[in-house]
Amino acid sequence: MKKDLSINFYSIFKWVIIISFVLYAVFPFLWLILASLKTNAELLDDPFALPEVFQFKNYADAMEAAGLGQLIINSLVISTSATFLNILFSSMCAFAIARHTFWGKNVLFLMITAGILVPLNALIIPYFAIINFLNLYDTRLGLILVYCAVGLPVSTFILTEFFKSIPKEIEEASFLDGCNFVSRYFKIMLPLAIPGLATAGTFQFILCWNEFIYAMLLTSSTEIRTIQFGISYFTNQFFSDYVGMFAAVVISILPSITVFILFQERVITGLTAGSVKG
Amino acid sequence: MKLKKDEVVWLLIFISPAICLFFLFFILPILFLFVTSFTNWDGIGAEFVGLENYSKLLNKKSFIRAITNNLYWCVTAALITVPLALIVALLLAHRSRGWKVFRTVLFIPQVVSSAAIAMLWAAMFNAEYGLVNFLLEIIGFSDFEKYNWLGNVRTANAALIGFSLCYVGYFMVIMLAKTAGISDDYYDAANIDGATQFQKDVYITAPLIKSTFFLCIILAVIFNLRQFEYVYLMTAGGPANKTQVLVVYIWNELSVQRLGRGNAAGVIMICIGAALLLILRKLLKSETYN
Repeated sequence: MKKDLSINFYSIFKWVIIISFVLYAVFPFLWLILASLKTNAELLDDPFALPEVFQFKNYADAMEAAGLGQLIINSLVISTSATFLNILFSSMCAFAIARHTFWGKNVLFLMITAGILVPLNALIIPYFAIINFLNLYDTRLGLILVYCAVGLPVSTFILTEFFKSIPKEIEEASFLDGCNFVSRYFKIMLPLAIPGLATAGTFQFILCWNEFIYAMLLTSSTEIRTIQFGISYFTNQFFSDYVGMFAAVVISILPSITVFILFQERVITGLTAGSVKG
Repeated sequence: MKLKKDEVVWLLIFISPAICLFFLFFILPILFLFVTSFTNWDGIGAEFVGLENYSKLLNKKSFIRAITNNLYWCVTAALITVPLALIVALLLAHRSRGWKVFRTVLFIPQVVSSAAIAMLWAAMFNAEYGLVNFLLEIIGFSDFEKYNWLGNVRTANAALIGFSLCYVGYFMVIMLAKTAGISDDYYDAANIDGATQFQKDVYITAPLIKSTFFLCIILAVIFNLRQFEYVYLMTAGGPANKTQVLVVYIWNELSVQRLGRGNAAGVIMICIGAALLLILRKLLKSETYN
């Protein structure tokens, strides 16, 4: 009998802990959504009560007032192109490293992956100078290049490990059949590596979509600005329109949550692959 | 695989974009950072000033405060966030019904941008309409009405650290993934010996994911050293520089065109990062093999 009690006690403890952490993680978001559907007066009056009428027009107002449409398009263009280029370049490099021997290969791999550990935010001033020097300040291309480079170490690491896990025999057979370097990459390796590409791509997309400091550093005009930097403007611009700000924040987080829910297995295996190395 | 001659050219073409990007955005900026940190560069001209930037920084109270705050963030993450994540990972490792849903939900703060999280929690702590004061009032702490958590010198740092616990999910997912690889034999043997679930968690699962636990500590330290958005958007380093951190400090130097000084701060930040990594590796390595 005593044993049963202790089992019950432990399992109650377990659910209390799990539920409280889930609440801690999710409750603020639920409140955010609730608050974004109220009026400002209702919010100040009682932050938690349900609104009398759901104010869906807060979203329309926020879209219009802050030009969120343009910001979302900018973010989408920048994030998808940076992700595409990042995956293209890092998979090319990973293919060379994982499948061939050449002088300096190990040094190259170690150097690029060591980039994961560099606290890049220390380099904001040099980045600012380099982008200015390249004449890319306040251009989409500037941000695309920076995002593509910032994600390079992680993508190259994930993809190299993935390429290494693909059996060599298939590629060797195609080599004997006279398949050249480029078509081995495009026709053999890339199709086999789609799960790996999806993992690295999801990480990269979420990184680009969520990035804030370089967007603030390297752009200045509203035509170029991304949504993450855009929503922070709400704090100054409409300092009394809290519900509008909440609506804008909700809009800004939807894409990354959607991508995560769609590709969550890939994100989680990606995290595991990254942590295997230790 | 042996390459034909013309394929060597292709190999070079394949690695060159990555090398160019790496050179342009990793190697060059780091060299640039070190070189200009010894000058009074202001965006227009630069003169060599030796170690002046460093001595000025290290004599500045606000800069020392930034360093200690960064270390404070790192230590809390290593000693509170990651151990809490371990507990949740051990509990979810039972694979009870619905564990995947909990895993997904706990991970969500990680995929939301730091900027959005910072704005959300700034709203939570808001004195006028924030939910924190409202909930405190409900459970009976009436003294917190209109209390400004982030604007008060005494509570600003505690509030920032407190909200950062919502990142438990990230480390939890990494450790939970590791538990999937543990062989059932251990648990079968323990069952025969009549071990309770608690004993199995503490004496089997926890020791077997030790290396991942240490990896999480290293990751937590790196993330908290480079963090920017929370402090910048929630307190801007205030009140009275109380919550200042290194990257916000560098940002402020940039905005007043003291680029050489800002880069000196960047060099110090990179050195702190390298030192922390070396120390952690040493500490945790000897732990692992003992």
